[in-house]
Amino acid sequence: MLENLYLDGKVVVITGGGTGLGLEMVRALTRSGANLAIAGRRTGPIEAARDEVLAAGQDAIAVPTDVSKSSDADALVQATLDHFGRVDVLINNAAMVADNVLKPIWEITDDDWETAMSVNLNGAFYCARAAAKPMADAGKGKIINVASGFGLRGGRDIYMYCTSKGGVIQLTRVLSFSLARYGITANSIVPGFIPTIDPGAEINRTLPQSGDFLPTGKLGKPEDLGPIAVFLASDASDYMTGEMFILDGAGLASGIAPTGHAPVAALEP
Amino acid sequence: MTLPAEYSLAGQTAIVASSGGDETPQLAAALAEAGASVFCLARHADALDAIRASVSAVTGGETHGYAGRWDTPESAAAVIDAFTATHDRVDILVNDTRSFFAKPAAEISLHEWDELHARNVRATFMLSQAVGQRMLGQQYGRIVNVISNLAERAVINCSAYSATQAAVLSLTRSFAVEWGRSEIRVNAVGSGWSTAEDIPLETQREELLVRYTPMRRKGHPRDLAAMLVYLCSPHCDYPSGQPVYIDGGANAHP
Repeated sequence: MLENLYLDGKVVVITGGGTGLGLEMVRALTRSGANLAIAGRRTGPIEAARDEVLAAGQDAIAVPTDVSKSSDADALVQATLDHFGRVDVLINNAAMVADNVLKPIWEITDDDWETAMSVNLNGAFYCARAAAKPMADAGKGKIINVASGFGLRGGRDIYMYCTSKGGVIQLTRVLSFSLARYGITANSIVPGFIPTIDPGAEINRTLPQSGDFLPTGKLGKPEDLGPIAVFLASDASDYMTGEMFILDGAGLASGIAPTGHAPVAALEP
Repeated sequence: MTLPAEYSLAGQTAIVASSGGDETPQLAAALAEAGASVFCLARHADALDAIRASVSAVTGGETHGYAGRWDTPESAAAVIDAFTATHDRVDILVNDTRSFFAKPAAEISLHEWDELHARNVRATFMLSQAVGQRMLGQQYGRIVNVISNLAERAVINCSAYSATQAAVLSLTRSFAVEWGRSEIRVNAVGSGWSTAEDIPLETQREELLVRYTPMRRKGHPRDLAAMLVYLCSPHCDYPSGQPVYIDGGANAHP
């Protein structure tokens, strides 16, 4: 029953694949036998990731892509079709984190809002739109959107990130219901706090530095996404669609009271 | 290729408890296929034999188990005694909590309400408490509750059953939060309309329910297998307190 986890030769397009969570997903997918089209804004990281995949014996291309431009999203899918002849899986992972600096709402400019929304939400839509048609023509495909726990709960002064990631979760549901008839599934991966960005980045001042506030007592690691990406890219997940896989140290399961708050009360008579 | 390391249960021991339904045998077999040693529980001897046979078909060896109830502290302790007669440590507990029941709410008897809750909820709590004490002692454990997506939505005549599923989902969150610091992870995997039988698609689609499901087929225990194995594995460290629904899109459907 587990042989359908193997990705032998499946073609996976991943945005933001050169660094952080994306790079760890690339590594796990490679180990399971996928071939990859690795997209990112900067050529250095995606070319290094491509070389790592090639060195591991799988095929890969690096495609410089700004997902906030629909022409780039279209070109990414076309480059994948040109090289591999098909696209089996799309992982919308690209997102702005470090640049999405927290501000009181009255200091957020139109440009702040539009830039973050265009990468995090428009980018996922553009890439899904570009990939959905060749997937539908093939009668099979998988779209995986990386959202965030901030897509389900409100963060103080985190307007664009929370709103765009909530939008990604809803995009996933609409894709799943609309594309099921074409054999295409869509699911979200919903990570909690997983440190990936430059330790000196400004946003780190407002994000937790340890897992002390989480029920499990620890933050996530980028490698934690690997087995989930493999599952959702594989035939093992064929009956799962429109859903979320949440990995967050039980943060979303709790949160009504501070970590460690443990009332004890006897049964009333 | 070999199985991804994150999906290996080699060297792990699992207790798999079935409240009812016909899907537990294949779920237990999936754990065995991933390398776990499986101890099986069912309320009746014939249901237990079906689970044991399914596991033994994978391992080629004998599969131990226990037939009876485990919905009181005493009976749950008896389960642990039976387990420790043949096994030592328990790494994994899977509660398949889906003894199904459907009847108009106006007609459900006290006995039916209590019996369904005893099977699906109280037994899950008592066994999790008994096994959890061992997991707390060893500072490690994985608990996975197999539930239905009726934990989230209502269907006519399913009031009592849906309440049990929502209760188990709530226990999933609570145990995850309460035992998180002891390296115990508690998650749920949720099915939709499903069957363990292999029914041809054309026959399935004669049913309105199947045509209503976005994937246009019923679920099968094999659809849950890989996710169940992952949630049981030592690599499943950061996920906890959450359900994963594998239901053909029903849960995202308007």
